Amino acid sequence: MQKQIFRPLSLLISCASLVVACSPNPPVSQNSPTPGNTAPSPVTSVAPANSQTDSKAIPIGLAVAQTSNVALLGQEQVVGAKIAEAYFNAQGGIGGTPIKLVIQDTGGEEAGAINAFQNVINQGQVVGIVGPTLSQQAFSASPIADRAKVPVLGPSNTAKGIPDIGEYVGRVSAPMSVVAPNSIKAALKINPNIKKVAVFYAQNDAFCKSETETFQQAIKDLGLELVTVQKFLTTDTDFQSQATNAINTQPDLIVISGLAADGGNLIKQLRELGYKGLIVGGNGLNTSNVFPVCQDKCDGVLIAQAYSPAYENKINQDFKTAYMSQKKAEPPQNSAQAFTGIQVYVDALREIDKQNKVTTIPLPELRTKLNEQVLKGKYDTPLGEISFTPTGEIVQKDFYVAEIKMDADGKTGKFVFLK
Amino acid sequence: MDLTLFIQQILNGLSIGSVYAIFALGYTLIFSILGIINFAHGAVFTLGAYFTYTLLGGAFGFNGLLANAQLPFKFSLAIAMLLGSIGAGLIGVMIERLAFQPLRKKGSDPLLTVVSSLGVAVAIANIIQYLVGAEIYTFPADAYGSLPSVINFGSATKPIPIRTVQIIIFTVSVMIVAILNYFITRTKYGKAMQAVAEDATTSSLLGIDPDKYIVLTFFVSSFIAGLAGALVGSSVGVAGPYFGIAFGLKGLAVIVLGGLGSIPGAVLGGFLIGLIEAFVPSDFSGYKDAIAFAILFIMLLIKPEGLLGRKFVQKV
Repeated sequence: MQKQIFRPLSLLISCASLVVACSPNPPVSQNSPTPGNTAPSPVTSVAPANSQTDSKAIPIGLAVAQTSNVALLGQEQVVGAKIAEAYFNAQGGIGGTPIKLVIQDTGGEEAGAINAFQNVINQGQVVGIVGPTLSQQAFSASPIADRAKVPVLGPSNTAKGIPDIGEYVGRVSAPMSVVAPNSIKAALKINPNIKKVAVFYAQNDAFCKSETETFQQAIKDLGLELVTVQKFLTTDTDFQSQATNAINTQPDLIVISGLAADGGNLIKQLRELGYKGLIVGGNGLNTSNVFPVCQDKCDGVLIAQAYSPAYENKINQDFKTAYMSQKKAEPPQNSAQAFTGIQVYVDALREIDKQNKVTTIPLPELRTKLNEQVLKGKYDTPLGEISFTPTGEIVQKDFYVAEIKMDADGKTGKFVFLK
Repeated sequence: MDLTLFIQQILNGLSIGSVYAIFALGYTLIFSILGIINFAHGAVFTLGAYFTYTLLGGAFGFNGLLANAQLPFKFSLAIAMLLGSIGAGLIGVMIERLAFQPLRKKGSDPLLTVVSSLGVAVAIANIIQYLVGAEIYTFPADAYGSLPSVINFGSATKPIPIRTVQIIIFTVSVMIVAILNYFITRTKYGKAMQAVAEDATTSSLLGIDPDKYIVLTFFVSSFIAGLAGALVGSSVGVAGPYFGIAFGLKGLAVIVLGGLGSIPGAVLGGFLIGLIEAFVPSDFSGYKDAIAFAILFIMLLIKPEGLLGRKFVQKV
């Protein structure tokens, strides 16, 4: 009897788990307009004919990491994009036609990003894509969209060279070469006696490698001494050896390029092992997810930001209100950038719609027009006013440096923006 | 390298090595009995950490089916770890019943069982994410009561600070090894487990039910994995559903270095890899994993049975 129950049950669970976890073409999410199996025809217009739920919706792809060790970042991006979808649809979408997110999980690896991009392009028939989460995924997946002539906006791809991937590839995330040096300058303002700097970076992440180059160049440009460079992996949790080595060089400032879990643990262990100087964190630490990791040890960490919840324009206040009503916390940069990515497409599509109804334009033509319009426009977004260079690089006016201030309980905290 | 730094790195190596050792012990136990690697071990390690966090009264984040859920009561760290580890042990038994036993009864190729355990590992990680999201959960700062966060093994002028939690992990690991060794070599159950590991057919002729002792092995192995997960979680937090994966891979290097199926080998391998990692030069500090696996590769070439393994491993 027992055998009769366990055998089919175990088979079912094994199959289900493997299908769920390993399927190369996971089903598009509920937000998608139920795409068909046929390849896109050259004359297909934006609304897939077989869509049953919302036949006139304009599909925009969101291909970010909802699983893997970077899921935290991707989940923040999904929240921001969904708020944008609801917000712009409440305004009437594109000339009365709603937009519809086609969400695909990229996982944390390049292969997952490639699969997700192929799915949203071929099955989702999207007009443009916001994604992927990581720069190193963008270097693999964005060329696919570029070859298919589908516009891509990287919501968090800040490594060097992203817009150079192709003419259809841009980003709404300012490169670290622009953002990162601000935090070192802020540290020098707080402690003008800083002389020796130790650098840590996650060497298995393209973004962190790119970011640390920027940090190290800024350190040299500011006449500071780089006393040690310690490398780690984003999957590491124990940093005692590296921390011991760095503290032994007696640095006045430590600069970290990592992600929330590893970077947070590194901060915690540096403090516990006796480091008392200033710490500057890179963009990977620019999330409240770092608070529960280093807890009270996060206090005082400086982080350069491309987004401030305090920025005073209407769309940011609307976005912030919508986010806070859902999550009871201030929106993080990743959510704001994903919102901005969707907004850029919506604003550009509205411009196109003024000349020709977008739902009547064949999809390949619309994708090309959209790419051209994205690069031409100026956008008032939660990040402030932005535009793009002809290669797709974001031109952003305002940047910030925030200091982490933990609450008395040591569990919650906030980014306090420095003037 | 001055003496202070040298001593500190020795202590660092021993503390992380003890984690590798107890992790590898779970692999070793199951390998001894079934002659296969249980790739779901890392997932059970993760579950132990999540169970303990939950029993400590920890709240979940805003993602997943259990968003914002929290138990209406909470236990002390010691009780939470014990119950969390028992929970992990029971999950281990379920894994054996669902993923291992059906294939074993059919006489399937051991490779299929390995694939089955991989499937279970991925399923568990996905189920965790579905239930509680990918957030990082950290044990309360006061989980260890009023103990200082660091103990200085040096002097005021030449400090050798070691995190208290690492000392606790090291101590508990040594205790687990001692208790496990006693259990296996001195108790009736342990001897029966050894008999099943040696030859399941013969042991069944002698009145030992192999199935019962396989279940017991899975429970003990998963209990240890759960306890290891809880201990590591108390040190570095629970860094999402995939947090056991890295330890799982490192555990493989440890058991190959120490000797497949050898409990003293798992302990020796764990400490050796921990110490080697601690002394990796700064310029190569990001290649610690590569070094661990290079050692695995070299060991496979020159001494495939490992440092303390038996030359011919009998598969049962």
